[in-house]
Amino acid sequence: MIDWNDKRLQQFGYLGLRAKQIVEGFITGLHKSPFHGFSVEFSEHRQYNSGESTRFIDWKLFARSEKLFIKRFEEETNLRCRLIIDGSASMLFPNDTNKPLELQSKYNFAVFIAAVLMIIFRQQRDAVGLSLINKDIDTHTSAKSTFIHHQFLMSILQKHLDKVKKESEPETLLVPALHQIAERIHRRSMVIILSDLLDAAHSPDAILDALQHLRHNGNEVIIFHTLDKKLEENFEFDNAPHKFIDLENKSIIKIRPAEVREIYKKNFEKLMNEIRSKSPKYGVDYYEADINSGLEGVLLPFFARRRV
Amino acid sequence: MAHQFTDAEFEKEVLQSDVPVIVDFWAEWCGPCRMIGPIIEELGNEYAGKAKVGKVNVDENPQITTQFGIRNIPTVLYFKGGQLVDKHVGAASKRVFEEKLQKLL
Repeated sequence: MIDWNDKRLQQFGYLGLRAKQIVEGFITGLHKSPFHGFSVEFSEHRQYNSGESTRFIDWKLFARSEKLFIKRFEEETNLRCRLIIDGSASMLFPNDTNKPLELQSKYNFAVFIAAVLMIIFRQQRDAVGLSLINKDIDTHTSAKSTFIHHQFLMSILQKHLDKVKKESEPETLLVPALHQIAERIHRRSMVIILSDLLDAAHSPDAILDALQHLRHNGNEVIIFHTLDKKLEENFEFDNAPHKFIDLENKSIIKIRPAEVREIYKKNFEKLMNEIRSKSPKYGVDYYEADINSGLEGVLLPFFARRRV
Repeated sequence: MAHQFTDAEFEKEVLQSDVPVIVDFWAEWCGPCRMIGPIIEELGNEYAGKAKVGKVNVDENPQITTQFGIRNIPTVLYFKGGQLVDKHVGAASKRVFEEKLQKLL
């Protein structure tokens, strides 16, 4: 049994190894790509006009029915994917160092999900680009499918995993960053956002508007809403007085959890329900990435749904 | 269940229909048409009463096929109030067809 928390192991590209282990655990054996959906190569038959090149005539059809038709293909069959990871300070919650690295914070969890997806994309020879948000857009790579590019992205993720932990920017604003990325994606892509969707300066509607901007440019938008359901949504803290620190603006309040539990749960649920319920209307594919479910628990339902 | 429109009844069933109509031009021998066939059937079931969803076999109905200049199949035409309002050529996902249909409702 491999101890994934072993420090020596972590020096040798822990992220890539762990992600690969997960991929091999449940993706191997899937014959059909879970991402291609309906991206078929051969999309239509067009009547042949005399004088045209005979190169694409469907000869089998001609043999059967004496009809001259040309096979038309999709311009591009491989997928172009952009992974966007929110590196705001709130993503560092719950910062529980007793857990395995991938479950220590929402940010780590998001990075591991991204790494698993990247390995699958590499196996399918799909182009992947990475955007990391930390105060502003920290990294925005091009989307390529080469092996070296994938290796490069994996090393960025690995480095970021350490960097964000030390110097996460408090004033990260998700909404303007998403608008900027929408402007910078020039070719139609599948955009996967890994974020806790908490942006103190903007309402859920503003977040949805930013997602719609991404959708509007013809992209498919998927959200992995990273959260610690137990603590953030259900507020399951014991009843001793607790000191709560706002990770983004560093303000501190001391309260007994039981006193505010009901009102907190109600408000948090209201905020989140707004995004959950409105996502389908905006054409956004929403997935909950609860850190307590583990990587397999989040990714398996995702793949199952994508394969349909 | 998707209707099968023919040259003879096209005028009555599609152009004089009270609800929006989607018409999928297809042929037995066309692979992409067979791929979108089940999607069209599903839309027919899901939007029963709100919209009419049907198919035209281009080999058996040359008159309407020529009338609408169908040279590529599958081609999906969208009608509202007897007018052709939208068109999609080639295979696509259900979402694409459904989004266009939603706009007409």
